[in-house]
Amino acid sequence: MKNAFILTLVLGFAGTAPALARLTPEQVAALPPAAEVTVDFARDIKPVFDASCVKCHGRGAAKGGFSLDSRETFLQGGDSGPAAEPGRSAESLLIELVSGLDPDNVMPVKGSRLTVGQVGLFRAWIDQGLVWPAEVSFVKPPALNLHPREVSLPPVSEIAGNHPVDRLLQPYFQEHGIRPAAPVEDRGFARRVYLDTIGLLPPPEELAAFEEDSRPDKRQRLVERLLAENQRYAEHWLTFWNDLLRNDYEGTGYIDGGRKQITGWLHAALAENKPFDRFVAELVNPTEGTEGFVKGIVWRGRINSSQTPPMQAAQNISQVFMGVNLKCASCHDSLINDWKLADAYGMAGIYTDEPLEMVRCDKPTGRKAETRFLYPELGEIPTDAPQAEKRRRLAEILTSKQNGRLTRTLVNRLWEKFMGRGLVEPVDDMEQPAWCPDLLDWLAEDLAAHGYDLKHTMQVILTSRAYQMPAVSLGEQKQSDFVFNGPGVRRMSAEQFRDAFGTVAGVWFESPAAQFDLTAGRSVEEVDAELLPRPVKWIWSDAGAAQKALAETVYLWKRFSLETVPEEAFVAATCDNSFTLYVNGNKVLTGSDFNQPRFADIRSRLRPGENVFAVAAVNHTPGNQPPAEDQPAVEADANPAGFLLYARLRQGRQVLDLGTDATWVCSKTKADHWEQRDFTPANATAAVEVGERSAAPWNLGDRLAGTLSVALIHGEVRASFVPADPLTTALGRPNREQVNTTRPSTATTLQALELTNGGTLNGLLQEAAKHVLAEGAASNNELVSRLYASALGRPPTPNEAALADELLGTSPGKEQVEDLLWAVLMLPEFQMIY
Amino acid sequence: MNRTRFTNRRDFLKTASAATLSALAAGNARLLAQTEPATGAPKLQPTADTIVVLWMAGGMAHTETFDPKRYTPFEKGIKPADVMSTFPAIDTAVDGIKFSQGLERIGAVMDRGALIRSYTAGDLGFILHSRHQFHWHTGYAPPQTVACPHLGAVIARTLGPLNPAMPAFINIGQRFDMVEGQELKAFTTAGFLGSEYGPFNIALPEQAANAVRPPMGMTPSRFENRDRFYRRLLAESPVMLHGSDHQRESLLRSMDNAHRLLSSPAAKAFDLALEPKENVAKYTGGVTDFTELSDTNRTRDGSYEERTIGRFGLGCLLARRLVEAGARYIEVTTEYIPFLNWDTHEHGHEKAVNMKRTIDAPVAQLVLDLEERGLLDRTLIVLASEFSRDSLVEGKPEQLVKDQVPVPDTIEDIKNYGMHRHFTDAGCVLLFGGGIKRGHLHGATAEERPCKTLQDRVVIEDLHATLYRAMGIPSTQAYEVEKRPFYVTRDGLGRPIESLFG
Repeated sequence: MKNAFILTLVLGFAGTAPALARLTPEQVAALPPAAEVTVDFARDIKPVFDASCVKCHGRGAAKGGFSLDSRETFLQGGDSGPAAEPGRSAESLLIELVSGLDPDNVMPVKGSRLTVGQVGLFRAWIDQGLVWPAEVSFVKPPALNLHPREVSLPPVSEIAGNHPVDRLLQPYFQEHGIRPAAPVEDRGFARRVYLDTIGLLPPPEELAAFEEDSRPDKRQRLVERLLAENQRYAEHWLTFWNDLLRNDYEGTGYIDGGRKQITGWLHAALAENKPFDRFVAELVNPTEGTEGFVKGIVWRGRINSSQTPPMQAAQNISQVFMGVNLKCASCHDSLINDWKLADAYGMAGIYTDEPLEMVRCDKPTGRKAETRFLYPELGEIPTDAPQAEKRRRLAEILTSKQNGRLTRTLVNRLWEKFMGRGLVEPVDDMEQPAWCPDLLDWLAEDLAAHGYDLKHTMQVILTSRAYQMPAVSLGEQKQSDFVFNGPGVRRMSAEQFRDAFGTVAGVWFESPAAQFDLTAGRSVEEVDAELLPRPVKWIWSDAGAAQKALAETVYLWKRFSLETVPEEAFVAATCDNSFTLYVNGNKVLTGSDFNQPRFADIRSRLRPGENVFAVAAVNHTPGNQPPAEDQPAVEADANPAGFLLYARLRQGRQVLDLGTDATWVCSKTKADHWEQRDFTPANATAAVEVGERSAAPWNLGDRLAGTLSVALIHGEVRASFVPADPLTTALGRPNREQVNTTRPSTATTLQALELTNGGTLNGLLQEAAKHVLAEGAASNNELVSRLYASALGRPPTPNEAALADELLGTSPGKEQVEDLLWAVLMLPEFQMIY
Repeated sequence: MNRTRFTNRRDFLKTASAATLSALAAGNARLLAQTEPATGAPKLQPTADTIVVLWMAGGMAHTETFDPKRYTPFEKGIKPADVMSTFPAIDTAVDGIKFSQGLERIGAVMDRGALIRSYTAGDLGFILHSRHQFHWHTGYAPPQTVACPHLGAVIARTLGPLNPAMPAFINIGQRFDMVEGQELKAFTTAGFLGSEYGPFNIALPEQAANAVRPPMGMTPSRFENRDRFYRRLLAESPVMLHGSDHQRESLLRSMDNAHRLLSSPAAKAFDLALEPKENVAKYTGGVTDFTELSDTNRTRDGSYEERTIGRFGLGCLLARRLVEAGARYIEVTTEYIPFLNWDTHEHGHEKAVNMKRTIDAPVAQLVLDLEERGLLDRTLIVLASEFSRDSLVEGKPEQLVKDQVPVPDTIEDIKNYGMHRHFTDAGCVLLFGGGIKRGHLHGATAEERPCKTLQDRVVIEDLHATLYRAMGIPSTQAYEVEKRPFYVTRDGLGRPIESLFG
């Protein structure tokens, strides 16, 4: 990709100043004659400047000291003197150079020469007095969308309504002669909002309740309620941010430590709705949990200089948070925008200890780069500061209220997610004007004014009438003539499709691919009520163990009866200092750090009738050595001891949870077969409760709940928590080696092949059909109605019901149900967001 | 056999509308004008319509295959530095071109093709197979700022399918669920060109038919019924009563395309069961039972290769059937599995014996079969590997990289006899058909260690330019990504090796 842009024409008064050998009279005679027309600067001259001269002499560049900023700088000329004298084209340096009569001094230096006609026009322009309208300039325009801008809201009116977004759009609609269509009906609105906030289809009963709700503000309430579902919100938006921050559970680089996940941090940040300024600051000035983002992907071996880790960080931060593409400039001064090699190195320098030497197209330049932010007017970063200081400074500048680009870039991404097309397009080029600048600027300021609360901005957009307009087809609209007339028809993302399948058919993923603490974003009371509804105590063999107990092994048992094997059975346990847990004689869990409870799925170990937990709990010496088995424990080694276990057993909605308490029994004698189910301890005594769950000295806090929280989603894990599979890959889940800010919405043949005969979906359909049949239905009609309600949010039409009835036949089997499910999933009405 | 049968007008109209229209509508990377002077430049006339890449995954030693050096038989106590080739050289059909023993059949068809002995892999520092394979297949060394497309995807994007019902880029023989699988996935993709041009992956050639059959456990009649039901249900769907929209149209079109492939005559090409047993045997060295192939235990002692002989041959047979059915780009790999197949970190000699048994018959048979069917002239077969191997040199003599394989002072055990280090300063590429000269040799390497390239060096940009040239694609062709041009050879620098063309 480097060296890629040598095709652009370049006019350069470059390098050494051209020797001013004035043209000889013969040469003057050979010059193309001045055109015999009245020259129009905008029509005749400016396009030539733009095409052939500006690259080196405009937009901030001034090779040879010559700049096309204005008529004045033009007349002033460069190192070789004035470019022209009005009225005397034959003696003008400009004409001498572009005429090509002196082969050693020709402009442009690179690219095509000017044509005879163009030289003639230039001569005529000079001879006619060098008319240069004051409003035409080739200076670098001030950065667009950079500084915050206060926008006053247009008035509330009957036609605009009172929502700020709609008031801001009203002048735009008026200008384009658009009368916004009536909002979509409740069902369509709910489907959009569920998918846009939490990424799931609306459950039929919630949809019905919403449709029946007659309160005028019910849409507002629905948006707020869904945004408050912190867990589901995080599960949905994890996909968006994984794409942006190129975080994944597997992929290139992990094989040899050249890449690091930020999953735990990211999920918690989303679940807690971390303010966006802090979110950004923690990513660019990273801690252990976030360093994977700026670390990038490092391959073993030699790397192109535009892909070193500091340069990757520069590119990714600029793209994701500032909407700036530094990729070209990482290798050479960009030919598609105004970014220079020095700008890219200026940003990369933040992530190095020593100043970087600039390398142009893999050739060292010998010049050291100054560290600087993309827009130095927003703040300085000292080149010679320690890296930690430079990172801190970058975080400060990026998240400063003066940086109106961070907020604009983000609100534009959100708008694009919800509406199918950004206010600025492409969304990674924030130097383009918005189609409604007031709206972009207002949303950005509003985000900053509301504590960088992303959910606030989402709520603002989702409650606007603009969002509620009927969906329009976006595919055919060319970028230049785009006119906003409602949200675009969108296609479900791969994850939305897979999760929708889960909702409809009850088939999810088993367990997450990384460690998630699902208590993030929830209140302690809520977590306790859901995860730890039964009391649980630290227990030991003797009272006072929280202060002092002998360094020895204590055996603990708990017998319990089950009518059936419960649908789910998880256990979390911890011990001061180590433990081994057996369930019915099977070793299921060990642990040796009381700060970190351990988790296991024990369902397969349980049986109807009597079950037993058997635990060997070991109190180590103060030096954390296990006690010697063949010597009696000595008083001098006594130290706090305790064991705590919580088992979460559920059958349907029935809770069978149990925790350690005085109903457990204990013994200090190690007997043969002590861990077996049919073992009865001879001299067991009741265990002693030595402290509440959160008691000192262990101060377990919410760590038990954090460990147990995986149980909340076990077996119902959503697509964002697991690696890509052939189905989600085919549906557009990207390889996250590069930053991905948008996903294609157009279907492809390979995708359709995967949907039609791929093994992944086929396996899911088979499993789903089992679920559907197990649920049972009194009639085909009931089965079809249920399917339509969950998949499409509506009853089938009589014709649809009749068709499905015909397919299902008199006693529907697995195959018929699979085929019906498949057909419904393939309907555009299912896959699209209208 | 004549391939015009699938491009007759009626078939084309049935299929082209769907396949090509979906490509046009897909919002694909825009083709940029070539940067070569447009005026007066003759349009490149393709010499081939189809490419078959036979991928020797893992690093095939040139001195053990198509560029033999002095033979040093195994005996205890020999020095690795004295081992040049572990096989004697044999004659081929072309005077002056010798192969290593075990490649007799390919040798016998050498008069149908050209041999490059001077392919030089990129200098990527530390040797990592997947990184060099990325470089070979995209022409760019990873990482890159944009997702680079695979050679097959570029061809699919530029030329489209030959038979509209047939996926344009078919990739045979690589599983991805193993160590470095993620790294392989990273280049087995259409990248920024868009997934429409991505690979149609057939991991197990012996199960190729499944790729175009109704899903497992579904009878063809049920499959047809399901489709019919879907179409009737679709017709009743209320959204179909609304005006059309781009997303919906593209979905329906893609479903049509998929169904068309699955029910088209072209799908039969994937079914190896339709091939007479004696033909299968010609490709597999006699093996006709493939039930255990994919489950073979992956041991590193040199026996895995022997137990999987036939698998690559099946891929070649499949390739022949797909060429006949009008495929555009096919790749068949011996499969990259770390430390197995051509990735000979030890037991190099024994593995080379079996790898040659793996490739010799099918490669030769593919050439002969295509010739017999009159298809070789328009089909370019390319056999290549990401780099070569040597018993001493890691990297290249002037630019050594970190050793990954310990080499003993003297060889006491046969497992240390062979080419175990990664060598980048020479390598062999075979080219057959598709306008390539017959019986031609390009490049030469040193007879003594280091056996490096001495003349007519070929780098990936030029090799790709040559393949593109054969397909009628200029090496300066570019696609736009993020407003930048992305050239099909790095920076548009590739130059076709004109002397290879007949």
